[in-house]
Amino acid sequence: MRDDAVDVALKIAGSIVRPLVYTTLSLPAVIVVASSFTAGDDLRFPPEGFSPRWYMAAFKSDMFMGSLWTSTKLAFVTMVLSLTLGMAAAFAIDRRSFPGKHAFRTLTLSPLIVPMVVLGLGLLQFLAWMRLNQSFLGLLIGHVLITLPYVVRTLNAGMVLFDRTLEQAAMNLRAPPSKVFRRITLPLLAPAFVSAGVFAFVTSFGNITLSIFLGFARATTLPVQIFAYVEHNYDPVLAAVSTLVIVVTLGMIAIVEKLVGMEKVA
Amino acid sequence: MPVADATRSPVGAGGRAAARSDPALLLLLLPPLLFLLAFLVVPMAGLLRASFSEGSRPYDVAGFSLQHYARLLLDGYYLGVIGETLLLGLASAIISLVVGFPVGYSLARLAPAKRRLRLVIVILPLTLSLVVVVFGWLVVLGRNGMLNSIMMSFNLVERPQRLLFNRAAVLVVLIQQFLPFMILSVMSVVTQIDPALEQASANLRANRFTTFRRVIIPLAMPGILAGLTLVFILSASAFITPRMVGGARVQMLGSLIYEQVTSLLNWPLGSAMSFILLVLTLLLTMGVNMALAVRLTSTRAEQHAR
Repeated sequence: MRDDAVDVALKIAGSIVRPLVYTTLSLPAVIVVASSFTAGDDLRFPPEGFSPRWYMAAFKSDMFMGSLWTSTKLAFVTMVLSLTLGMAAAFAIDRRSFPGKHAFRTLTLSPLIVPMVVLGLGLLQFLAWMRLNQSFLGLLIGHVLITLPYVVRTLNAGMVLFDRTLEQAAMNLRAPPSKVFRRITLPLLAPAFVSAGVFAFVTSFGNITLSIFLGFARATTLPVQIFAYVEHNYDPVLAAVSTLVIVVTLGMIAIVEKLVGMEKVA
Repeated sequence: MPVADATRSPVGAGGRAAARSDPALLLLLLPPLLFLLAFLVVPMAGLLRASFSEGSRPYDVAGFSLQHYARLLLDGYYLGVIGETLLLGLASAIISLVVGFPVGYSLARLAPAKRRLRLVIVILPLTLSLVVVVFGWLVVLGRNGMLNSIMMSFNLVERPQRLLFNRAAVLVVLIQQFLPFMILSVMSVVTQIDPALEQASANLRANRFTTFRRVIIPLAMPGILAGLTLVFILSASAFITPRMVGGARVQMLGSLIYEQVTSLLNWPLGSAMSFILLVLTLLLTMGVNMALAVRLTSTRAEQHAR
């Protein structure tokens, strides 16, 4: 391979850009975690001393703990519903032929390309007409809507790799369909289920753009609470609460990494 | 006339007959279909209707008027906001491509063991709550933040500078959030490119740059375009970031919609803004898809010509 000036320049540029990108991508999370352990009274960098006092403050705050619970509950129910609906859609797309299949697939994926602020206003207006606004149900509907495309896409990707002769073999051995589904289909699709479920959970847990339209006083999710708090206050308790969000998110990613491997998600 | 139908278009009628005689399919299809119709299609139709309404309050949907669109498309202020939104979206997409391509490319060529940690770093900003990411940037760029204290310790500046509440800050934060989409879509296409092609090109005495330009870039084009569209759509519809990082100085369409809905309570105007945003992003997506289709068919035609 010839090495000339352009190549050297490319190599150098690449070796500068790559570390810079990785640093920038992790910077906000790292800084938040680092400044959450400050002993001082305000958010500054470098933090003053080391103390868990802001975590104590966060755990004592009903406001933050209440919204953490709301977010967790919402993310869990969203995950279950989204997996159920998504599994039905993914099976229909993968296994059946029906008229309008392409349109159906596009429809299930389309919440991804509609700007979330547009979805938010549309849903808010619709829920208000149905008298469902300011309800946990409304918030839940919105979250299922935005997680559904990820679930369908991940499950479909898993089904493409699925060897269907295994099911046929089980049926040849006279296993009833329910048993084939339970013993063959589900275990083989388990990795896709895990990644789809985790992705739905994490997306719902962290969502702010839609929750800010659909949330209300009695169901404030943690991201919305952080957003509302930061508009008027700016203190290390926010860093502690944000670190909790980072820990939950990283924990969920670790589950996928452990069970499935990062390669499959990306 | 099912029989006549069957003779005319066997495929379509066969499919329809299958749908009718297949209760399992209906069971699979109906729940997601009804859900999406009720909570995606109907609300979007309602939004379109509201954008043409005469009133200017929530739920106030009556009559037909173009006043909201006229106000948005004739007023210099709103046109400026639309322009700024498009500009920030485009800048974010293009810069993401320039810095994201080398990262996506190198990830695709790395051994899986080395890839792991890097992939976690790339995926974290996508899965982490936006508000936490933006809050992290407030700590980095704030008056007592990391960047200011670094600059002061090197005596680059004497007192803390205001790094937040300007366009550059918004752009940096938008890029950091959406760059992972670019990296992942470049990575996924480059993984499909056989390294033997690069070796062949090198054997033909092409330098790396030529190989890059003539072999890698054309083959990676679908991933590049997918990344560009995604980053553009997400950046152009941002509203949390401009609000928290840009303050009153940087107005984007998304933040105006949010303001119209939550504080000014002019839902019909907000609906019209939403549709303008939706149409702009959809047009771009369609344009890119069409360009891609034309490119793919033309290269195939060229191959046939040779």
